[in-house]
Amino acid sequence: MLKRAELSKSPPKANSANFLKIVDSALAATTAPSFKSLLFDRSRSLKELPAVETCVMTDRRRINGPPGGTRPPVFSSATVTTAERPQRQRQPNELRKIFLKTGLIPSASGSSYLEFEPSASLSAARASPKFITPPSSSLKLACTVHGPKPLPRSATFSPNLVLTTHVKYAPFAARKRKGHIRDASERDLGVHLETALRGVIVAERWPKSGLDITITILEAEDDRWWGDAPDSHDAAWGMMNVLAGCITAASAAISDARIDCLDLVAGGVAAVVADETPDGTAARLMLDTDPAEHQSILSACVVAYMPARDEITELWLKGDNSKAAVGTTDQNLSHEALIDGAVDAARGAHSVLAEAVRESAMRFAGLSSGTA
Amino acid sequence: MGGPIAVLHPLDRADGSASYKCPSTGSNILGSVNAPIELPGRRDALKPEEATIEVFVKPGTAPGGVGERYVEGILRTALGRVILGREKGYPRRGVVITLAIVGGESVGRGGSYLPLLPALLHTATLALLSASVPLSVTLSATVLAVNSAGEITREPSAKEVTTATSLHVLAFTSKGHLLLNESEGTFTFDTWDDVYERALAICHGSSTFGSDGDVAMAETTEGQPLDGIVRDTVEDHIHRDYAWKIDAA
Amino acid sequence: MASTTAAAASQPAAPSLALPPSQFARLQPHAYLLAHLSPPASSQQPSIRANGRAPSQFRVTSANTGSLTHTNGSAVVRVGDTTAVCGVKAEILHTEDIASWSVSHSSSSPSNKRRKLTNPTEKPGEDREDGSKDDEDDDNSYIEDFSLLVPNLSLSTGCAPGFIPGAPPSALAQSLSHQILSLLHSSRLVRAEDLEIWYQRPNFGAEELERHNEGEQMDVDAGPEAEEANLEAREIKAFWVLYIDIMIISLAGNPFDAAWTAVLAALRDTKLPRAWWDVDNETVVCSDLVSEARKLSLRGLPVASSFGVFEADAAAGWRAVVIPDAEEERKLAESERKGIQRRWILADPDGYEEGLTQERVSLVVDKTSNGKVKLLKMEKNGGFAVDRKELKDLVDISARRWDDINQILQRC
Repeated sequence: MLKRAELSKSPPKANSANFLKIVDSALAATTAPSFKSLLFDRSRSLKELPAVETCVMTDRRRINGPPGGTRPPVFSSATVTTAERPQRQRQPNELRKIFLKTGLIPSASGSSYLEFEPSASLSAARASPKFITPPSSSLKLACTVHGPKPLPRSATFSPNLVLTTHVKYAPFAARKRKGHIRDASERDLGVHLETALRGVIVAERWPKSGLDITITILEAEDDRWWGDAPDSHDAAWGMMNVLAGCITAASAAISDARIDCLDLVAGGVAAVVADETPDGTAARLMLDTDPAEHQSILSACVVAYMPARDEITELWLKGDNSKAAVGTTDQNLSHEALIDGAVDAARGAHSVLAEAVRESAMRFAGLSSGTA
Repeated sequence: MGGPIAVLHPLDRADGSASYKCPSTGSNILGSVNAPIELPGRRDALKPEEATIEVFVKPGTAPGGVGERYVEGILRTALGRVILGREKGYPRRGVVITLAIVGGESVGRGGSYLPLLPALLHTATLALLSASVPLSVTLSATVLAVNSAGEITREPSAKEVTTATSLHVLAFTSKGHLLLNESEGTFTFDTWDDVYERALAICHGSSTFGSDGDVAMAETTEGQPLDGIVRDTVEDHIHRDYAWKIDAA
Repeated sequence: MASTTAAAASQPAAPSLALPPSQFARLQPHAYLLAHLSPPASSQQPSIRANGRAPSQFRVTSANTGSLTHTNGSAVVRVGDTTAVCGVKAEILHTEDIASWSVSHSSSSPSNKRRKLTNPTEKPGEDREDGSKDDEDDDNSYIEDFSLLVPNLSLSTGCAPGFIPGAPPSALAQSLSHQILSLLHSSRLVRAEDLEIWYQRPNFGAEELERHNEGEQMDVDAGPEAEEANLEAREIKAFWVLYIDIMIISLAGNPFDAAWTAVLAALRDTKLPRAWWDVDNETVVCSDLVSEARKLSLRGLPVASSFGVFEADAAAGWRAVVIPDAEEERKLAESERKGIQRRWILADPDGYEEGLTQERVSLVVDKTSNGKVKLLKMEKNGGFAVDRKELKDLVDISARRWDDINQILQRC
């Protein structure tokens, strides 16, 4: 699936630049799990690779850092202990505010920029900075839509609009520096996003056309609080928030590009968290969780939801909350409750989305009346 | 230290080629030009009205990198203005210029390409002439270093480059226009003005343009003007090629 | 359709234009811009660019710093519709990871500290006019030799239709990355001493070491004579490496100015934590207190400004086989003042204008504290229009641009 999507995007062409690209994506797609070790430049032949394994391989198309590799800074333990885990200040069903604006990138047919409101701890840290390591982070991403445009000559015939999604983290988006080439999680996000959007776009309207959706994540959500040691509950929880943001932003950008859709699809996240409270550890359902604010997330769910049709186009459930549900026999912690929670979160995002799309439509109306 | 050594058409299979060696900077470039040729794989990039110019710079020792892309861009822009890409037979086709750095200092990561740039430009011009690509003008270029004392050094050596406070490459057309200027380092406009005067003298001699538009070449303290070297190289080559005819006459 | 266009091109200002202006702009871009720049004398309209700017006017520029959480310094710069986001992330390079370090730097004698392999004849008089602190001429050799600055620019962000996301960097992105690195090196913006992490051997006991760490910054600044006693025991253990990544979020012409301004603003915002060598763990440890972190002290404020030259006769280059001499050009320029203008130098070209201009000029200027303008880069390529006189005027325009950018950066 992953491989096919990648290959169809870079049609085979005779010239060498394109050929390299195909090798690049094919190589990366087939060996996604161990991708890190393959961060070398494709145009170099294998014999050129240094015999000694180094942390950073050279990429001839980019400016490389020191050949011996660098290490992220290690902070002294004395100060770490004084830092406190950020606390969730919101109600369990209270969402973070979303800033969503369309049309910031004029050269694209549609574009949007999305930003989550910084959590209470982060905004406090911003106001009076004490530690260099931020307590948490808030999602910031830009989305562009190019198209519908004719498919390249070499592409096979398609009676429908061919959707291509591309999600890339900026190297400075996460706590750990990201590589320049997409890694497995970024490809994963791209595939999830494509699934979420494919069911929304009326693809038959544009035969033989392509639509490129590109998302650049400028700041990602953390997977856990940085002070916590990795443990068995760990998963890429931050990715789920990122996906929800990607879905909402892409939906706004598609509307901004005036592509016909069935409905405005919005993304939402809910999670079952187990935090230590004064009266023991209790599992609770929370909407729009910031992973940095919770000790452990048992399971989380992200949906792409169309409110007008009450349909879900993408559902991604992660984690295991069976223990929590069995222990308490609480219906609020079942998978259904989790999905319902995510849908509620998506409904919240939808209201912001609708407002942004209305703004985009007003701008378009004003523009066309101005020139006519 | 003598002037630069240029050889026209050292390669047999290319449409045109040239090699150029500048003893003072130590750069040694071999260039080839193929034009006009079909670029079958580039149908999307071909322009309906003029030739597509492609420049490739191959460093001698290290594999190429971002610095080469940058210098390729400079050469493409400069030569694109000189090549008459709209002449008959050129539109929708390509002019492919390949320049290999055979000797001299290699350019490191983020290093300056300026000391090599004049040699690259000369090689490309000679190779284009050798391939009979129509040009509106020819060009000559030089690199000058200014050190902290304000002294201007013509075609500095690698050591002089590292001590220089600013480096300047200027290229003039055979008609005296400033076609290209690349300056880096710290300098003032007045310094650059002096550099300009010196560079013009190096490229064209202290020549004045005659009323009939002919350039009166004059040997000066700078030695033979670089512009003349391009001309002489071509003249020598023609002389050799037509030796049978001249002898017969 | 074609005949309508031709008619429109010949009579651009006619009110009976059959096409709406937006379509005329697409079909006949050159004639459209020319019609704006040289309105018929009868129309009483000023010469203005299609985007409403005067020829030497730059686009509205705004900058915002420090908004990205995971960076040591960040900036978002918008120049008109071109948006660049720059994030600086600092990582540590241990000297033991530098292959050439042990050979050339094994001892910590003062002569070794003042090292520049390629430049043994260093003159003390090399300081810039303003540069009382520009003392260490050798310090850039660390930055260049050990690749301590790693700028990369990405255009694969969907910023413009031509760039395929996920593809390797285009030639444009590569040459922009190179230009930024080259300018970082040649302008010597970042001081190597800011990136050095020192270690003092504890020959006075642990207490002394603690005290030394507190005063580390001061020691670096102090002259070599003052710390001669200490020098024997001091050595560089590691360097900070700054990964400077620039994402062009929106591209509408002139990416270099926006990218460079973003780099400059992000570096001004960059804070490095206090770092020291931990003997027990044999590694570098940082303090995460903001109060102990320090900002980079940059050398000057180099500001980039770019220009494009628009020519009235786009085809002049190939139609006129005989190009006028430089001397004749000057005479033509004289007559130009009375008659019709043939070319316009447009400051900060947008995407539309970039497609119509062949000749480019790019300047980087800085002003010293006494208001003197110094040039750090001057590039001109691709045409015959800009010569000495024009460049002088452009330097003046760039100096005015410096004032604007300086104000914008002071505010953020």
